Amino acid sequence: MTTALPLLGYAVAVAWWAPALLARLTAGGVSARLGLAAWLTAMASVLAAAAVALQFLARSAVDGWDRLAQVVCRSVSGQACTATGYQGAALEFALAVIAIVAGLTAAALAWRYGRSVQRAQRLTRAHADVARITGRRLPGDDRAVVLDAAQPVAYCLPGRPATIVVSSGALTLLDERQLGAVLAHERAHLAGRHHLVIALTRGLAAALPAVPLFARGAGHVARLAEMCADDAAARRSGRGALLSALLAMATGAAVPAHALGASACAVTARLHRLVDYPGPARRARYGLTLAAVTILLALVPVLLAGFAGR
Amino acid sequence: MRGFGDLEAVVMHRVWDHGSPVTVRELFDELARERAIAYTTVMTTMDNLHRKGWLARVKEGKAYRYTATASREEYSARLMREALDGGGDTQAVLSHFVAQMDGEESEMLRAVVRRLAERRPQ
Repeated sequence: MTTALPLLGYAVAVAWWAPALLARLTAGGVSARLGLAAWLTAMASVLAAAAVALQFLARSAVDGWDRLAQVVCRSVSGQACTATGYQGAALEFALAVIAIVAGLTAAALAWRYGRSVQRAQRLTRAHADVARITGRRLPGDDRAVVLDAAQPVAYCLPGRPATIVVSSGALTLLDERQLGAVLAHERAHLAGRHHLVIALTRGLAAALPAVPLFARGAGHVARLAEMCADDAAARRSGRGALLSALLAMATGAAVPAHALGASACAVTARLHRLVDYPGPARRARYGLTLAAVTILLALVPVLLAGFAGR
Repeated sequence: MRGFGDLEAVVMHRVWDHGSPVTVRELFDELARERAIAYTTVMTTMDNLHRKGWLARVKEGKAYRYTATASREEYSARLMREALDGGGDTQAVLSHFVAQMDGEESEMLRAVVRRLAERRPQ
């Protein structure tokens, strides 16, 4: 049991304290890709540490089962057992129950999450089929189709084949370089499999809303994924083209009543970042710090598990 | 032509452009003028589109006459609705180039534009 405690302590500490640190390091989106890696590593690290700790708890409960059964029998049959033995057994029994309940809950949540992902995939495939049949081809990119719609809209549909949808409203708003930037942004989402990353972190946030790392992490991950795609688009078409494309698309768009919250994709944060693009010194400083944090987050649970396993 | 899915798109666009009900033969004659294509390919494609609900057909003599079940505009409008208010249902909403914004954010955005304008020389 005591071997599991450092791991549990680590998981709790990272889950509750890492968000503030990571939010500070990644707020401006300096080295967005490393920032994304740091958040995801923190989440993986907490989940792994918690899983290994639970496994140790369950194992120690199973190892102590004989003793536990003896103690319970003796106490039921009326023969008094020593107070310390009884307490130890009760504690072990409680831990075993916690480990089993946690394991079952995790399995149920994973199953529900799998179902919702499957449903999203089915709907996305149906949407893409209709888009590919209805849309006109956009010359220059075999995956892109144009739909007739006044609102300036661009998005991608992962799958095989992947599809990028651009509305005719967006086409009239953008010049050739700006359109190149928008397409490069969407291609970066597809290449980076951002939909999986975002769906996974949103699923964790929905399953564990009381854990700050997951509750706050999903929004940060979505924003950093947008910024990673922005970086790819800026490399391809230049920051100016991307910035003006963002402004055109954002201000030309109608705002429906059910608008997503500001945190959804944080257009303003992305714009600020493109306007005040950090210099190489600041990028290097943030990059090194984030890399160090990521490596620590990856290594600590492995070391703790190694010690606990001995 | 890149694949079977593309042929479905080509056929649908032809049917939409036609306006009036069209037979496989008529559509094949049109397509054969522009590309090497077999009659049976066109027939299979139209049959598939009928099975998937894209085309409705009425028997006329020995052949079917096909019409689109909905216009191109109706499909586009439906897709846009889905993409904009999917509420997390499709993966499309996760990848919008810009998200829909609330009043506060669009105000902040205008502030960014103003700052950019001030920065530019002249």
